[in-house]
Amino acid sequence: MSAVDRVAPRRRPRASSREEKAAALEEVCSVRVGESLFGVPIRHIFEIVACVRPLPVPLAPGFIGGLVHYRGDVLATVDLRHLLGLPPAAGPQDVLVMAGQGGSFGLLVDAVSEVLAVSQADYEPDPSILDERYRMLLAGAYKLDGKLLVMLDPERLDPLRLETGPAPQPRGKLPAK
Amino acid sequence: MDELTHEFVVESQEGLDRMERCLTELEERPQDAALLAEIFRAVHTIKGATGFLGFARLEKLAHSGENLLGLLRDGKLSADGGVITVLLKLLDGLRAILKDIEADDNEGAGDDSGLIAQLDGLQVPAQAAAGRPARAAGVRAASKARHAPSASAPQSRLAPAAEPGEASAVSAPAPEPAVPADAEAAPLRAPAASAAETTLRVDTALLNRMMNLVGELVLTRNQVLQAAAADARMTALSRRLDMVTADLRESVMKARLQPVSNIFSKMPRAVRDLCHALGRRVRLEMEGQETEIDKSLLEAIKDPLTHAVRNALDHGIEPPAVREAARKNPEGTLRLRALQQGSHVLIEVADDGAGIAVEKVRAKAIERGLITPERAAVLGERDLLQLIFLPGFSTAEAVTRVSGRGVGMDVVRTNVERIGGKVEIDSQAGKGTTLRLRIPLTLAIVPALIVRSLNQSFALPQAALSELVHIPAAQAATAIEWMQNAPLYRLRGKLLPLVYLDRLLTPRREPASSADRDRFIAVLNADGRRFGLVIDGLADPEEIVVKPLSAALKEIGLFSGATVLGNAEIALILDPGSIALRAGVTLGAEESQSGGEEEASAATIEYLLVESAGRRTAIPLADVLRLEQVPMARIETIGAGPVLNLDGQLLPLEDADGILCSASPHGRIIVVVCRKAGRQTGIAVSQVLDVAAGGRISQAGAGIPLEGVTLLKDRVIAVADLGGAAAPVAGNGISVEWNRAVEALP
Repeated sequence: MSAVDRVAPRRRPRASSREEKAAALEEVCSVRVGESLFGVPIRHIFEIVACVRPLPVPLAPGFIGGLVHYRGDVLATVDLRHLLGLPPAAGPQDVLVMAGQGGSFGLLVDAVSEVLAVSQADYEPDPSILDERYRMLLAGAYKLDGKLLVMLDPERLDPLRLETGPAPQPRGKLPAK
Repeated sequence: MDELTHEFVVESQEGLDRMERCLTELEERPQDAALLAEIFRAVHTIKGATGFLGFARLEKLAHSGENLLGLLRDGKLSADGGVITVLLKLLDGLRAILKDIEADDNEGAGDDSGLIAQLDGLQVPAQAAAGRPARAAGVRAASKARHAPSASAPQSRLAPAAEPGEASAVSAPAPEPAVPADAEAAPLRAPAASAAETTLRVDTALLNRMMNLVGELVLTRNQVLQAAAADARMTALSRRLDMVTADLRESVMKARLQPVSNIFSKMPRAVRDLCHALGRRVRLEMEGQETEIDKSLLEAIKDPLTHAVRNALDHGIEPPAVREAARKNPEGTLRLRALQQGSHVLIEVADDGAGIAVEKVRAKAIERGLITPERAAVLGERDLLQLIFLPGFSTAEAVTRVSGRGVGMDVVRTNVERIGGKVEIDSQAGKGTTLRLRIPLTLAIVPALIVRSLNQSFALPQAALSELVHIPAAQAATAIEWMQNAPLYRLRGKLLPLVYLDRLLTPRREPASSADRDRFIAVLNADGRRFGLVIDGLADPEEIVVKPLSAALKEIGLFSGATVLGNAEIALILDPGSIALRAGVTLGAEESQSGGEEEASAATIEYLLVESAGRRTAIPLADVLRLEQVPMARIETIGAGPVLNLDGQLLPLEDADGILCSASPHGRIIVVVCRKAGRQTGIAVSQVLDVAAGGRISQAGAGIPLEGVTLLKDRVIAVADLGGAAAPVAGNGISVEWNRAVEALP
């Protein structure tokens, strides 16, 4: 399929000491969605809430994964599976809490994998191998030893910025009495 | 903006608010030295601070004002209407500059020279007149000695920036009137100082955050309580946690309360300006200004209240000549009253004007097609009055007038209902009109009924809920009738349009057969639309903490927010008004029975029919707050009788028929929570049968209506005397469907 499938999980990058001095290290949280792994820059993540079952919101746009409880607030979540064209998750999922334009939102992923330190020198913005659907959501990729870690772009995942089809507007069944 | 400037702006604005209040009072008591001192102080404080903050424009304007106020305070000039008008202009001018400073830290480039000239111009006659005995109280003929300068000694002391020419006056003997002025001002100043020591400014964002955290603490507490139930040691600890949490929540809520005087204080000025514009003479009476209400709600009712006051002056109170012709006091009275009633604040706007001519309302409603002539003919006076709240009632001719800025009473109602409040109107032709706004104490916490549909929970605000009807599966097919795909239910003989919540929320899915399960109908009243919402099940009533929805979800429109329930489940809060709109429920005067409370004097009263130990009793619906189904384990006996521990509050129980003794200790009983002499009480019953209208019956031959009994469904039923035990009346009839009155309050 695409490059994302080739990213193998759970391997720390072994950057040489020279590279470490040359380029800033970035901490990246890797997350699993379906069979694929993606990276999200740690600095965009407020908190990770594990094992939630979001409450579905009737009539909401499809990319909305539902509502979760976070520190006394109710957060809307973005369903990454929906955006990637995968079927809905069967079990509980993890949520990355991030800042959006209209306040915090959650990003629903199947599971949070691990935190990696990667070097900016290995970053490749917008690899042209990605297909159109993914390119909308992805920022670029880190070339790690023998694999690529494809990065999600948190700004493009903001529910306010996601391309929204008009929410279904049902017509009333009750005519005027 | 730096901290210092911010502080200055906030304090100055408060000072100006006080000045505004005092100015309108000054009109009635132009010689009141305390008032003058207070006004002087507000302007003086601003001027004093501008020097080192470097706001030259503000300083100049404040300086001119201070000079004029100095003359007034010293009794060299009396505060007539003209002077007060200019002082009000000064107030507006200062406010405008402060607003600019608040917006961009800059005074703006406005020109105040016209206003300054006016302020200075008023000082001239005073200086000229200083030579002759002034009318002002306390100024003696001896004031000849102090002829010139506007600045008196105390003023110079307070205002070191006084002009050089005035400095000579310092040597003059201190003017007599100024001393009592200061002396009288002193007691005013003293409490203000102590208030400053015990109060603290807190950012509202911080308060909101605290409210949020307390909300989360409440949820955590609920979970701890559930988890701790098994362990005896933990139970004691969790009880304590429970109490502390409840106290904390109350304290944080209280921190958000502000006295209604914050908006009432704007009214004297508004009334004064309107009186001038409309040629009315009106005395404004205000009562209950210390009543407190949540800050956000206070903001929300500001506009409706201003609109109501404007309406009262424009359409209510007649011009003096007309009033005289009607043998009324040419000076009208407008009364603003605020008082707390339980969890609500009632705000009343009452005028003694012409009242609303019901016939005109009827004619206009028909003319505008809001109501059919047939229906109008049968409506009572009270119902007709409610028509003025319908959108489109406000007349076009009103647009040119003061109150008719294209908005009508429907906007007042919409604004008040949006925050969970209600509006009522009463009017007597020739005598006046009273508008009542019933506002919840706080927005953050709303009483709601949790309902089930689509296998999830939704919160239904109780403010919109009038009753619940249970439709057993067996009756579903016959109880709900269809008229061209529109489901209808006959509620006490009236057709009620129905909206299926599940179908509304899943428009694409094939509707499941509705005949095979129990359903409930929540009878809702929203924005003048009355309809039944069909739901699958009922859970408990709960006080919910409202959380805003993400902007991405606001477009859906049917939900006003979300909340986290006691069991940590999330529920969407339904917005009855939007549901009615979306489903196409027509506006109508169908809800006209809303005037139930006032119709109590009429022949019929609605009763809740209950049965306990085989006896039937009728409880006046207006006094019923809600029904609770509680496990016997929660009932304890303290002192004289049984009590129920309900959400941390003790509810005394009445058990006239002894059903508590006969009930199984592990079973559940139904408790009708009622209002009784201003307090809540619970009546233990075996079964709730119905809601029905009861008629009066008279003793044979006597023709006097009997107290304590009513004719309900052709049977004589004892009415629960909410002062004691109900007299038993035998009767066994058919069990009708179970109507459950949850919130039957107006």
